[in-house]
Amino acid sequence: MKAFANYHPIVIFLYFVFVIGLTMFYMHPIYLIISLAMSILLSLQINQKSFLHSLKWMVPLFVIAALINPLISHDGEKIILYIDDNPITIEAIVYGFAMSVMICTVIFWFGCYNKLMTSDKFLYLFGKISPAFALIISLTLRLVPRFQQQIGAITQAQRAVGMDVTSGNLLHRIKCGIHILSILITWALENAIETADSMKARGYGLPKRSTFSLFSFEKRDALTLTIMFILMTINVIGSFLGYTDYYFYPTFSELVLQPISLLLYTTYTLLLALPIIIELWEAFKWRSLISNN
Amino acid sequence: MQPTTKSNDPFLKKKFIITSIIVLILTPLCLLLGVTLWQDRRYNILSLIMVILACIPFFLSFEHKKPKPREILIIAVMSAIAVAGRAAFVWAPAFKPVTAIVAITGFSFGPAAGFLTGAATAITSNIFCGQGPWTPFQMFAWGILGYIAGVLGKTDWMKYKIWLIIFGLLSGILYSFIMDIWTVISYDGRFTWSRYFAAAGTAIPYTATYAISNIIFLLLLAKPIGEKLKRIKIKYGLLEE
Repeated sequence: MKAFANYHPIVIFLYFVFVIGLTMFYMHPIYLIISLAMSILLSLQINQKSFLHSLKWMVPLFVIAALINPLISHDGEKIILYIDDNPITIEAIVYGFAMSVMICTVIFWFGCYNKLMTSDKFLYLFGKISPAFALIISLTLRLVPRFQQQIGAITQAQRAVGMDVTSGNLLHRIKCGIHILSILITWALENAIETADSMKARGYGLPKRSTFSLFSFEKRDALTLTIMFILMTINVIGSFLGYTDYYFYPTFSELVLQPISLLLYTTYTLLLALPIIIELWEAFKWRSLISNN
Repeated sequence: MQPTTKSNDPFLKKKFIITSIIVLILTPLCLLLGVTLWQDRRYNILSLIMVILACIPFFLSFEHKKPKPREILIIAVMSAIAVAGRAAFVWAPAFKPVTAIVAITGFSFGPAAGFLTGAATAITSNIFCGQGPWTPFQMFAWGILGYIAGVLGKTDWMKYKIWLIIFGLLSGILYSFIMDIWTVISYDGRFTWSRYFAAAGTAIPYTATYAISNIIFLLLLAKPIGEKLKRIKIKYGLLEE
């Protein structure tokens, strides 16, 4: 589960931009199914535990989201029944399911994103665009656990002087809680000034500042990036030519299997499956290296 | 401490102008593309792009100002408090002190700091809770509330409790409305007013909780935190505009 995560952050980030962008763009049923299948496969590969855990609330969400649409939307031609003179159509039911699939797929992809695109990688990329704002985020990330620690210390000290937040009536507890928060903020602000002065003393903001990062752009990153762009371009051209259009209203458009649409499905699958392929390829290489010895 | 000086670096200036042009051209271009070329009306992806583009000018002007370490640190501290506050109230859906803390920062340190605190809080707290397509919308929603708070902070109104209550109420409604746009578009792929009002209708309990929590936290925190921020501002001459 390490292979794709070790790639350069820009590769991982662009992969998710492409994948999530295309998933949100296509309403074509075959594209939806491909994306759903790939997101589930990747989730099982890298994110198994939390993915299976999330299914508990994803499945009800999926069903509810699918069932709301036919109740609100009455477009479509194939009417199956009337509820209070409002037609319930097959088109609306199927559209609701398609929309549900898309929402769930996007959430699955974001689950994989959270696993592969850790905060250090995100900050590395974001720091290139907006260094000061990236610095704010990384400082915030550091300060949160520090505040939690400090709250613990303040609470203990306050207990010693009789302001115990865990005992007494509710009013007393709220008073103690606000007191602790107030101490924390005073401490945090003064401490922030100290940190800032220290940063300034070490030369923050001077020109020709160098930065260190562990990420290096290697040959394999260039290769993967090129493949991604080629696959993406093929899909975008296909969409412009109208091969990926699909309409649910007024009634379903026909699914036609042309050689060119087969090519498009294959490229789309390949693009989405890149991390899985990379993973399998690395595993294969590892095994063949072991067996060679 | 001297107030922030505008950067005179010609390279930065050039970069700033170029990016501003890109944003100014790109935004209407995306809208036009979305409405004319994409017959399918994929508004979900379009709205995501628009919201991200809408945040860029704020980051640019912050970057352009060449912020001092002290300013950066104050914004980081306030967003860390907001993040911790959001985490502390994880058991109460929609009842969060985030908007109140972002607004208080805005009152004391102006619109730019308010926006950045809101946006940083959205990104950072979602690093802990999980990023999703809602992150840019939260960034924009909290950011713009911080910005409005900053504009209002220049007047004397926010010293009065009645204005705090009105601000808390309206900010809860505005936050809910921005997030409802996302709910509607993500579900339907397109935006219809009837659908939007239906979503806003089902979200009324949430909207009410947002508004009530904003009012409670603003009334509780505005004065004590505001005083601390004012003190630190006077003591060190921070974020003067």
